Amino acid sequence: MKWSETTSPAERRRLLASLVVLGIVLLYPLRSHAYAGPGAGFAVLSSFWTLFVAFLYSVYAFFAWPFRQLFRLLRRRKAYGKAQIKRAIILGFDGMDPELTERFIAEGKLPNLAKLRERGTFRRLQTTFPPISPVAWSTFMTGVNPGKHNIYDFLARDLSNYLPYLSSAEIKGPKRSWKIGKYTIPLGGPRIKGMRRGIPFWHWLGEAGIFCSVIRVPVTFPPEKFSGVLLSGMCVPDLKGSQGTFCLCTTRLRDDKFREGGVRVPIERNGSSCSSYVPGAENPLQGGSGDELRVNFEIHPDKGNQARFTVDSHSFTLKVGDYSEWIPVKFSAGMGFSAHGICRFYLKEVSPEVEVYVTPVNIDPSKPDLPISHPVTYSIYLAKLFGPYATLGLAEDTWALNEEVLDDQAFLAQCYANHDDRERMLFDALEKTQQGLCACVFDTTDRVQHMFWRYLDDDHPAARDVPRDQRPSVIQDLYSRMDELIGRVMKQIDDKTLLMVVSDHGFKSFARCVNLNAWLHQNGYLALKVGKTESGDWFDDVDWSRTRAYTMGLNGLYLNLKGREREGIVEPGANAEALKDELRFKLDGLVDPASGRAGITGVFDCDSVYAGPYVDNAPDLIVGYGDGFRASWDSVMGKVTSQIFEDNLKAWSGDHCIDPRLVPGVLFCNRKISDEKPAIVDVAPTVLKLFGLALPGYLDGKPWTVAPPTAP
Amino acid sequence: MGSLGVNLPAAIVVGISLVIGLVMVVVFRYTSDQKAIHVAKDRLKAHLLALRLFQDQIPVVLRSYGRIVLATGRYLRLAFKPLLFVIVPLTFLIVQLDRYLGSMPVEVGHPFLVKVRMDNPDALNEASLQLPDGLSTTAPAVHVPSESEVAWRVVPEKPGEYVVNVQASDQTFSKRVVVGAGLQRLSRVRLRGKFWERIFVSSEPALPASSLIESIDVQYPARNVALAGFEWNWIWLFFVLSLAAGFLFKSILGIEI
Repeated sequence: MKWSETTSPAERRRLLASLVVLGIVLLYPLRSHAYAGPGAGFAVLSSFWTLFVAFLYSVYAFFAWPFRQLFRLLRRRKAYGKAQIKRAIILGFDGMDPELTERFIAEGKLPNLAKLRERGTFRRLQTTFPPISPVAWSTFMTGVNPGKHNIYDFLARDLSNYLPYLSSAEIKGPKRSWKIGKYTIPLGGPRIKGMRRGIPFWHWLGEAGIFCSVIRVPVTFPPEKFSGVLLSGMCVPDLKGSQGTFCLCTTRLRDDKFREGGVRVPIERNGSSCSSYVPGAENPLQGGSGDELRVNFEIHPDKGNQARFTVDSHSFTLKVGDYSEWIPVKFSAGMGFSAHGICRFYLKEVSPEVEVYVTPVNIDPSKPDLPISHPVTYSIYLAKLFGPYATLGLAEDTWALNEEVLDDQAFLAQCYANHDDRERMLFDALEKTQQGLCACVFDTTDRVQHMFWRYLDDDHPAARDVPRDQRPSVIQDLYSRMDELIGRVMKQIDDKTLLMVVSDHGFKSFARCVNLNAWLHQNGYLALKVGKTESGDWFDDVDWSRTRAYTMGLNGLYLNLKGREREGIVEPGANAEALKDELRFKLDGLVDPASGRAGITGVFDCDSVYAGPYVDNAPDLIVGYGDGFRASWDSVMGKVTSQIFEDNLKAWSGDHCIDPRLVPGVLFCNRKISDEKPAIVDVAPTVLKLFGLALPGYLDGKPWTVAPPTAP
Repeated sequence: MGSLGVNLPAAIVVGISLVIGLVMVVVFRYTSDQKAIHVAKDRLKAHLLALRLFQDQIPVVLRSYGRIVLATGRYLRLAFKPLLFVIVPLTFLIVQLDRYLGSMPVEVGHPFLVKVRMDNPDALNEASLQLPDGLSTTAPAVHVPSESEVAWRVVPEKPGEYVVNVQASDQTFSKRVVVGAGLQRLSRVRLRGKFWERIFVSSEPALPASSLIESIDVQYPARNVALAGFEWNWIWLFFVLSLAAGFLFKSILGIEI
């Protein structure tokens, strides 16, 4: 106890007096003192219970341990028998760019990465077609090309209606329900189906008795069973079932909606206080009536720039520009049905108007309504150990910054709060995994580069009004921070530990938008209904009977193929091949008239870049945008506009969904790797080989030649 | 049983337990560091979960055991801080309750002992007992020199509240004796000096400091409270019921204990 620092003289006197009285009471024991009320009873009983459970578990573990070992032997699981390493640590920095990394190393800002490069390896890591995180990380974990793991983008299209759906997981309501009047009682939990195919390499390690801790690797939702612990990452939904829907509660009356990722909720003034609500999922008892669940909260603006919030039984005070901690919210549907979430409140303004930003409602990791970890108790364990944490796949609210609901500082504060949580999880996993695999992916690198590239780019349309000398060095600070993290990890490793730092892709500026649907329209491949010059989102007003090709998502271009698409008109076979060739020929090198630069630098036929049982689900062509370009916001959402090229004015100003050859990732390793052109698909076989396991025959990746450790 | 067929001692214990359970959780709420307790309990649970999650990692399991012990200590430290606030009033409350519920008055016809402890064994011969009508001795006084104590066996003949006098040398001191049934405030002993002990066990004025007598003790029979088919010492019943009430109210009021 830091007596002198934390205790005032008055407190000391009070404590001393209390101790004297307690002493007197205890020194005169008699029967009635044996029990001093519920206070002592609670403490003693709870503590005893904990120790009792621990003891019981010890007895169980003691007697079960030989049987577990025997079981392993019987299954010939002699772990580490042929292993060249005792432990593999893989730090995934989503989107860490090799060019920037080299630049910052040269400037002496990344000493730990420089050390890794000097003593071990630094290479550019070939990414996937297309270079999108869910695709690349799926390849990372399975060691196969997308044709075998079935992930080609965040979105896939429904062939029956040309509408998008999330490519990684499908969440449906319960199989059976019971209708009573206006209520629909769900009989069972939601049905969650993972759409990613292929087997992650940690499954094989677990089979061999090698323990694995896997934290926030993308496309691991729903979590699959294996011998280890896993916390799901990118693609975990929020409590609404979306990939992140923030909420702006405001007294400003506006009818317009956010283009992406958010809803506007009114704040009602009631005298000196205000009330509003956090919207949740649709009420499952109302059977698709659209009624949403809500959690009400009150705001009591105080003097000065602060306000007191009351959310359920939680009260807290925020100053303008402050985030709350994670606040648990319970959405009650009635009849005992409820959903548990957590969210953070950010006070934007208290006067003259009141505005509060609420993060998307994350699944509460301590009471997960959907499985977000394997085993289920792992997310609970982390929540108990470190407190609530973001569980949403895309936890950093890029949409809110894009929509100017958050400013740069508020967004960064959110990013780094999540990042700090992730660091704590990583170091706990490192402590718990002294042997085996510890893989952890950090998303901060990706999100921050997406949103702050505009300050790196000399002439980015989204930052033209910010003088160069006033631009914050956000990305440089980000890289320094990651380097510092790597340094702390390096202090924990020995020469039997393999340390790999990998990224799934690099980054480039996203200054110009390309609406490929507009190009297809203007060049006669996509037709609108008569009288229309533009379409709505998701091909509203597209005349499919005259449309030969369309695009949605980030890099995929699809033929409207007869027999495949609902209203397909392109004959499969030679016609389709000819159309693909024609499109490739015309699109490759497509020039932006404003800059004279190539907006597209490569168009790739899926038949040449993919192989496997799920190739039929792939886009027909993968479009590789040039440096500085990307699919336009409208094009991604299946909208046809009149402009093909336009400036990107959003904060989302850097991107990687371009020509994969332009955005390789990074590979750092503490050992020498002789291969000159390593690819992300090689990581899985390399780790399996280093642990002495036979490689499954279906893998596309090739293990690297990794040298033994060099003397320090 | 009371006049309305109510088991009065049990009803009192149940009622007081509920009230104390409620008061205690409220006091606990405002005198404890709720956040720190929440964190301490969560850590404890985390280390328990770690035993299961990392069961094949022996070093992790051993570390978790150590952390469980440390976290338990921290939780106990946090939970005992509120105890400092309640222990004094609660102790005095229990002492007062014990005077009603701990013992029963002597029943008519049932002999009981009156014990007098003197300063020294030599004074034992000087002590004599003077009984009012309704009480009588059934045997000569028994002297226990090793304890400096003399004891009389007394039989009550009719119910009532009596005062017995003990004479030693030229001093006479009285002691209250209650004969009958029902709930009555009983004082087992009258003491000389011993301020704190007197607070806890006696409700009668102190014997003078110059007295040869240290204490006058009346042996009342212990009371058992009948509830749910069992005979309980009231303290145990209070323990169980107040704890149950506390857990109930803490859930209702959302208090971390």
